[in-house]
Amino acid sequence: MTQAPIADAAPSGHHVEIVGAVKHYGKARGLAGVDLSVRPGQFLVLLGPSGSGKTTLARCLAGVERLDGGMIRLGDRVVSDGKRHLPPERRNLAMVFQDYALWPHLTVSGNVSYALRRRHIAHAESQRRVLDALDQVGLARLADRYPHQLSGGEQQRVALARAVVARPGLLLFDEPLSNLDADLRERLRVQIATIARDSGATVVYITHDQSEAFALADEVAVLDAGRLVQLGPPEQIYRNPETLFVARFTGSAGEFPGQVTRVSNGHVDVRVENGATLRARHGGALSNGAVVRVLVRPAATRVLKETSGSDAALTGTVVDVAYRGRGYDHVVAVAGGTLSSVFDPNRWPRGAGLTIRLDPDGCVAYADDSADTTPH
Amino acid sequence: MPGSTPTSSKQDGTLTDTLAASPPIAAGSRGDRTRMALSRFSGAPLVVFWILIAAILAVPVLLFLAVAFSPRLFDQGPEWFTLSGFSQAFSGPLLQGVLDSVFVGVSSAVAAAAIGFAVAWLVVRTDVMGRRLWTGVMFALLLAPSYLVALGWERLLEPEGVLDVAGVHPGGLRTLFYGPFGVIVVLTAKGLPFAYLAISAALRGLGEEFEQAVRVHGGGPIAATRFTIALIAPAVWSALAIVFAESVSDFGVADTLANDAHFPVATYSLFNAVQAFPIQFSVAAAVGWVLLGLVALALLTQGWALRSRSYRVFGGRSRPARRLHLRGLGRVAALAGLTAVLVIGIGIPAFGAVSASLINGLGSLITSHGLTLANYNRVLNSPNLRDPLVYSAQLALIAATVTVMLAAISARVLSRRGTHVSARLLDMTLLTAVALPGIVFAAGYIFTFNLPVFTQLGIQLYETTALLVIGYIATALPSTSRVLLGSVSQIQESLAEAGRVHGSGVFGAWIRTVLPVLARPLLAAWLLVFGATLLELPMSQLLYPPGQPPVSVAITHALANYDFAGGTAMEVVAVLGALVIVAAVWTLFRVLAPAGWRRIGSSA
Repeated sequence: MTQAPIADAAPSGHHVEIVGAVKHYGKARGLAGVDLSVRPGQFLVLLGPSGSGKTTLARCLAGVERLDGGMIRLGDRVVSDGKRHLPPERRNLAMVFQDYALWPHLTVSGNVSYALRRRHIAHAESQRRVLDALDQVGLARLADRYPHQLSGGEQQRVALARAVVARPGLLLFDEPLSNLDADLRERLRVQIATIARDSGATVVYITHDQSEAFALADEVAVLDAGRLVQLGPPEQIYRNPETLFVARFTGSAGEFPGQVTRVSNGHVDVRVENGATLRARHGGALSNGAVVRVLVRPAATRVLKETSGSDAALTGTVVDVAYRGRGYDHVVAVAGGTLSSVFDPNRWPRGAGLTIRLDPDGCVAYADDSADTTPH
Repeated sequence: MPGSTPTSSKQDGTLTDTLAASPPIAAGSRGDRTRMALSRFSGAPLVVFWILIAAILAVPVLLFLAVAFSPRLFDQGPEWFTLSGFSQAFSGPLLQGVLDSVFVGVSSAVAAAAIGFAVAWLVVRTDVMGRRLWTGVMFALLLAPSYLVALGWERLLEPEGVLDVAGVHPGGLRTLFYGPFGVIVVLTAKGLPFAYLAISAALRGLGEEFEQAVRVHGGGPIAATRFTIALIAPAVWSALAIVFAESVSDFGVADTLANDAHFPVATYSLFNAVQAFPIQFSVAAAVGWVLLGLVALALLTQGWALRSRSYRVFGGRSRPARRLHLRGLGRVAALAGLTAVLVIGIGIPAFGAVSASLINGLGSLITSHGLTLANYNRVLNSPNLRDPLVYSAQLALIAATVTVMLAAISARVLSRRGTHVSARLLDMTLLTAVALPGIVFAAGYIFTFNLPVFTQLGIQLYETTALLVIGYIATALPSTSRVLLGSVSQIQESLAEAGRVHGSGVFGAWIRTVLPVLARPLLAAWLLVFGATLLELPMSQLLYPPGQPPVSVAITHALANYDFAGGTAMEVVAVLGALVIVAAVWTLFRVLAPAGWRRIGSSA
């Protein structure tokens, strides 16, 4: 499979600007005023649970949905402002749909060449670019097949070739890997990252899978209930989640309610229900006596071989164990909660007692007024 | 930091500043600016569609039905409110017509449901010979207009008819057929495919475990069959309701066999009231209400019979039933029964029509009747017989094309995601229109487009070809929309959206991405509407422009003038013509359509 970029690809991605984007479906709120800016050529991932508005936002960018309020600008053009709407075919973009949306009456090459035909590219040039694109995704030999004669992974790659072949300014991906098995997902993720970046287009990629988001993104935009709740590089999102919702959605081994007993330089001490004191970073301004929830990242847990007197250690009982190849993930019931994804190279049987040390940098305390931040 | 608005990627200034500074319209080509401006009116095509639906489906029928209560409102009488139309509808010959309609409706419904169950059971649950053939017979019966079935029988049995000419005097059979029995036979034959389709679908979904449970707990074959009937009760009731509604709404048999047999039925009473001088619209409307009431009664009875019971018998664990191996006498009896259905429903009417068309001077006073092809020569060369054929073909062509376009839009509106009020309203309108007798539609058209207000508005549609075509479209649109709904609902919205984001406009994306997928069902719907319109009777009978009868009217006129041979020859040519056109269109599709279009929906 050739992985070279499409010949003469020009990095000409749109600068995307979204201001106060609002969209309703009857009484349901799809977008509740989203502001977002994506630099030309940037790979932005919209991350959020089902119903967070990420697909709505991408569809508004594509122009297949109309904004009710706010504005979208692609490059130097305002393409939607709540009242007026530039149709999708005039926006110089392409999209990979969740169900691929390959046209069943066209062959693979017919599907891929579609956008070129619409742009009135000369036949010889069109054929060359179709073959280039198919070669990039490793499907040149299947150019004459129909979609139903392809596997799911092959169909996905055709959709990818179709999206990049016309060198659009904006590439939209609507959860393109969600229908594939784990092995294929990983291989195609790499292919998408390479080809999309090589195309020079600005990319907006939708997923609800945080590991997929972190693997692909230059920047991640986390959405919840139609609002943008955090925007930043993957490392920043993971290390400094600004809300309990973002922290939960990007990886949690467990949570413990408690009260702040001491605030020190960048950290707080929190007395949790079993009387233990956990040290954690604070995800916002906290003072002594504040009621908080401490969220524990999976990587912050470590099984101690011997019982420790440390305050930052929790004792509990193994309730489940799962083999993960390089070791075992344990679910451990502790006073005041449950810790999952507690990794150890050794297998601890169900019912065994364990002492678990928590790394303060992997624990974040948030003021406990976040009843509405539960992931949907 | 809940509630904050992160904008870390913004390089300079705020996004709100950007919005304030943004140009009022898209900075792009003039075409793009025009598109942006026009996008404010994106709902306009749908408004036009709704006006069209109201104008051709809802308004004519509602105005016509309203005249039953308030003739003065439409300058049809002195009273602002009266029930005199209803008192006439429920007395004397009109009441007799209603009672006759109920009688033949109930009889044909019961007969069609019983025979339909037997045919469905033989086809679905046994290895009877020629199962595809019998399914084909059901579809042929579905498509054959009722008046042609009735006329075929009449040509055989009437005095000086084919059998008399052949020296076989039908005697008692003639007396029996020219009366309620004959009407019930023809309406049962016409209702049979509805019963068959409803019951066979239910039988296919019913696993054999229920019958096995009866047998292993001591029940015999009859007890098992009783259980089967009970389990598919929704389908049986549905069959009874549909056949009853179709029978009381039928105009084809009413205008031919029932009229010739002096057996008045409600649809013919309505026709007479509209044809009377002066026209009795309020009486016709009252009869229209009665017909509607009978249809509603059938549906309510169905609902009442099934209320508070559960018939959810089909699930993932159901096993498909095995086919019963017929042998010996059972095999012979099954084939004999199915052959009888074929002969009575199609064979005899076809033989009656074809043989009559080949007899010289049938119906006239001449005494020597030889076999001849001269009648076909007349049909092809005499303007009186040929022109209606050509005229009907032209109208059917236009009506089928417009109907399929509107039906595709209707199906699209109905299949939209979410619970749109407009979709529900359209669904209700179309369902009501499907149940509405064709003759009520036709009377509604005559009444509405004859109102002075249309003349004042400069709309002169009454007694024009345009009104007849609109009537055809209105008749065919509800059922065609339902036919297309299944296929349109299967189209993923992303198919056309992918076309849009990859460079096509609304229309272009539909033509290039959706039309190829829908080509087969659209073509099938077009052919169905074409065939049905070519031979349509109720609308044609009431709305044809003076001096320009469509083929169905020309056939009945020829027969009424005792030109039996010419009328039946025209009938045969019309049916053969329809079949030739169907075959030709399918052949053209197979030859000319792109390979990708042909692959979709093909069984290969």
